[in-house]
Amino acid sequence: MTGPLPLIAIVASLALTVVVLAYVVLGRVPDWGLLALAGAAEAAALVVTVVACVQLARGGHGLDGAQGATLVGYLLTGLLLLPIGFAWSLAERSRGATAVLAVASLTLAFMVLRATQIWAAG
Amino acid sequence: MSRPTRPGSTRTGVGLTLVAVYAVFALSATARSAVQLATKADEAPVAYALSAVAALVYVAATLGLAEVGPAPRRLAWAAVLFELVGVLVVGTVSVVAPGVLADQTVWSSYGAGYGWLPLVLPFAGIAWLAHTRR
Repeated sequence: MTGPLPLIAIVASLALTVVVLAYVVLGRVPDWGLLALAGAAEAAALVVTVVACVQLARGGHGLDGAQGATLVGYLLTGLLLLPIGFAWSLAERSRGATAVLAVASLTLAFMVLRATQIWAAG
Repeated sequence: MSRPTRPGSTRTGVGLTLVAVYAVFALSATARSAVQLATKADEAPVAYALSAVAALVYVAATLGLAEVGPAPRRLAWAAVLFELVGVLVVGTVSVVAPGVLADQTVWSSYGAGYGWLPLVLPFAGIAWLAHTRR
């Protein structure tokens, strides 16, 4: 949970947020390009989650059970955000619906950030 | 791009975004207060009870704005008004007499720890409910 991996995941979901907001401003609805970008951000978060779980299982990280569970909870919840947000953003053709994906991606970035903070505190 | 298709609906257009933001707050506040109450309820009972109340308010606002239940608009109004009073009162108490609460809540310092969103959200909710009023 140290090194560039979490940072890449955070930057990827923040980049997605910016692109989604551009879509909202331009009045565009989610398309395949946006789906690909969301897929990339999701993949980065998934890699971080797998690495975190492996490192937690190995031990020697100084986190107690509750902290480890909270960290994994943040990451697993974070992984649900983009699929739900993307599906939700297709609910209707409106700026408001598209913006739901921005809410989801910004929240994902925050979730990964919180996870790294918990890891650093251990 | 279209305007909200059903006039009077709180869950179309911008309302969808608002429901999403409220849903995130409902989820995170509920999870946070559950962890606090389960692991250290006696450390700061006032703060953690307030966190639980805030979580319930966010859940109620989410459901109301998403038009779930028999009287969603009334539920949404009650939730956002309670939320506004809550963030103002708890925010003021946390600034004037921080010792009373003993630990952070969502509404401490007017929600500064959550990017001031807890302060902005009730106004957004009230504006949206007023805007979609038939």
